[in-house]
Amino acid sequence: MTAKPKLSMYWAASCGGCEIALVNINEKILDVDAAFDFMFCPCLLDTKYKDIEALPDGDILITLFNGAIRTSENEHMARLLRKKSKLLIAFGSCAAEGCIPGLANLTNKRDILKTCYLDNPSIDNPSGETPKPETEMPEGKLCIPEFYGSVKTLAQTVDVDYFIPGCPPEPHQIWAVVETVLNILQTGAPLPPKGAVLGGGKSSVCEECERKKEDKKITGFRRTYEFVPDREQCLLEQGVVCMGIATRDGCGALCPKVNMPCTGCYGPPEGVLDQGAKMVAALGSIIDIGDLKGMKEDAIDKKIDEVISTIPDWAGTFYKYSLPGSIMKGRVA
Amino acid sequence: MTAQPTRITIDPITRLEGHGKIEIFLNEEGDVANTYFQVPELRGFEQFCVGRQAEDLPVIMNRICGV
Repeated sequence: MTAKPKLSMYWAASCGGCEIALVNINEKILDVDAAFDFMFCPCLLDTKYKDIEALPDGDILITLFNGAIRTSENEHMARLLRKKSKLLIAFGSCAAEGCIPGLANLTNKRDILKTCYLDNPSIDNPSGETPKPETEMPEGKLCIPEFYGSVKTLAQTVDVDYFIPGCPPEPHQIWAVVETVLNILQTGAPLPPKGAVLGGGKSSVCEECERKKEDKKITGFRRTYEFVPDREQCLLEQGVVCMGIATRDGCGALCPKVNMPCTGCYGPPEGVLDQGAKMVAALGSIIDIGDLKGMKEDAIDKKIDEVISTIPDWAGTFYKYSLPGSIMKGRVA
Repeated sequence: MTAQPTRITIDPITRLEGHGKIEIFLNEEGDVANTYFQVPELRGFEQFCVGRQAEDLPVIMNRICGV
């Protein structure tokens, strides 16, 4: 009997939701166990880093890597697992685009350490210590990873074979990818082209959203706490910043289904490089500032400003999940 | 007789949410002299939530822990 191919899952700067999404394929996890030697996953299994270091290169068939690259340990593990894996998959939005941890690219390392360790009202730190890579203690030196200046995606760090979007990826999509892989293993069918996005659609969330869509003309935006949106009509048409128009389909339009706007966790649609730019472009074509006849350029600018100023946090709204992977990658000024 | 180890490193701590590491230092008798629990991760939610829209915070903060 030949040994089962090895499957591993690792978390870098992440929340553990991707691991839970994998387990949420429910009893089908037994099929995964039957087909693979699921041998590394700190959330679920007790394998140590030294066990991974001891493996021959390329010994793991597939690594599902979730989490962004925030520290030197994240980078070390990305490089190690790249070397040990035949296929490295950026699993979930953090690894694919930087996701919520990537919002840290709107600030900087100094301010993060100051807020978390010096100004934090719940921390008693009279000597003003902040984490540093090496600390001498009476018994010996203690080492923790270096906290980098900014967040990177997995593909900005190592070569990535495939991407699975979502925060987290939906279990039915994870299962669809597993089925594809099992079919490839059993029939020898060709692998998808390198760099492909698996476990998602090719269009936008609007494609899966069952709300009524008519003419999009927005005279101002409304925030979700200000009113209860109509359950039938397109949220964007009601003035709610719904990111569905600039977000890959695949989730089943879960958030609009419960009367909440899409916040963009499946990343940009197929062929779109920058999700925020796509959203801004979409809004640019639907903002209605009335009849422009005879208006001076300054007056037009002022009217447009009035409309877009009803969205207080542009970066956090348009790039909530995709800042490190975007064209700008972070704060530029 | 082989020398007693003076330091035992458990890295990573597993089957929990988040990253953790434990280093146990032993004395000459092989007993535990001191133990350090370390958290080798930080994302900085306390700082990058500043400036976000209040209604976005439930969306952002539930990514602290997804387990």
